[in-house]
Amino acid sequence: MSFDPATVAAFVDGELDDLTARRIEREAEGDPALAAEIARHRALKAKLAAHYAPVAEEPVPERLRALLTPDVAVDTSLATRREAKRARFAPIHWGAIAASLVLGLALGLRPWAPAASIAEANGAVVAAGPLADALDTQLASNQPPDAAVRIGLSFEDKAGRYCRSFESASLDGIGCRDNGRWRLERTMRGQAGTDYRQASSGELAAATAAMMGGDPLDAAAERQARDKGWARR
Amino acid sequence: MRFEEELVELLPRLRRFARGLARDASDADDLCQAAIERALKSQGQWQQGTRLDSWMYRITRNLWIDERRASGRRGVHASIDESVTQIAGDGIAEVEAGTLRGDVDGAMARLPDEQREVVMLVLVEGYAYREAADILEVPIGTVTSRLARGRETLMHLLGEAA
Repeated sequence: MSFDPATVAAFVDGELDDLTARRIEREAEGDPALAAEIARHRALKAKLAAHYAPVAEEPVPERLRALLTPDVAVDTSLATRREAKRARFAPIHWGAIAASLVLGLALGLRPWAPAASIAEANGAVVAAGPLADALDTQLASNQPPDAAVRIGLSFEDKAGRYCRSFESASLDGIGCRDNGRWRLERTMRGQAGTDYRQASSGELAAATAAMMGGDPLDAAAERQARDKGWARR
Repeated sequence: MRFEEELVELLPRLRRFARGLARDASDADDLCQAAIERALKSQGQWQQGTRLDSWMYRITRNLWIDERRASGRRGVHASIDESVTQIAGDGIAEVEAGTLRGDVDGAMARLPDEQREVVMLVLVEGYAYREAADILEVPIGTVTSRLARGRETLMHLLGEAA
């Protein structure tokens, strides 16, 4: 073999100039030892790549993403609550919904818990904290009976985005995967107001049906979509 | 906002790199978190038009080295030759070729830090030798020699040796 090990490694790493690379390729055709050496290097590279690839496919944990996306500070001051209360009767716009969600969470079952299940990103209301975690990872087909957030259906909307309906104590709704976040397309009061529960569930089901682009995902498709980080197909 | 958005896009790859360095998944995410915080603080030092990914990898790697030093574990102060001796002493001699077949984590853990980071940058992250040298702030010849040693050890342990 007329190539030293460093040159063979450089060849496999794509570091050689075209001329030398072609010489190696030609030589490997008639030199089984050289061909085996190249194959050995390629096999190691493939093994390492395959081993670490799944890490880059995992959904990025919310605590890391949150450092880079300016979230609405959750303000539970009285002024904010008043503002929020008024906003509920104003014509619906996202800001008002965000404010009322903050109110809903602040007055929810666990007022001492950090009220950080929603945030604002680029003018849209998105899931954050435990809600985002549930939407990221929890499977409708396999969720603990006492889960704080219950996933209803996972489906693709008419634009091909993955969407998931969810119910929790303070908030029900539908989140759709948009630019790596769960954009909350529909939100309604959660089961905390038990009187409204029936109405709320019906409303959620109707909204889900209206948004679906096809059939909801079955268990296998849901798992597959999650494992791929909810990226569009 | 552009800066943060680019960082968000880098996160999946950065987590992979950190996992290779730190092995433990939550240690790796802690490392990423520290790197992001450092990057946000030193944003002014990043020159627009230069590669954000290289800059970010360098920050991550330097933080990791700092932490290794702080925790006083072995490997950081050791020169390459010492590390190789160490490996030869408590590793290869007792571990027969191919014993760790399939156990990439176990094999990577046996590499000295200097070799593991080069292996991650070139073989996993796909950086050119020149780019890896820039990230690590070492001469390119250092990259190729560490890579060669790391490769040999991995092939031996993973049973790739012919």
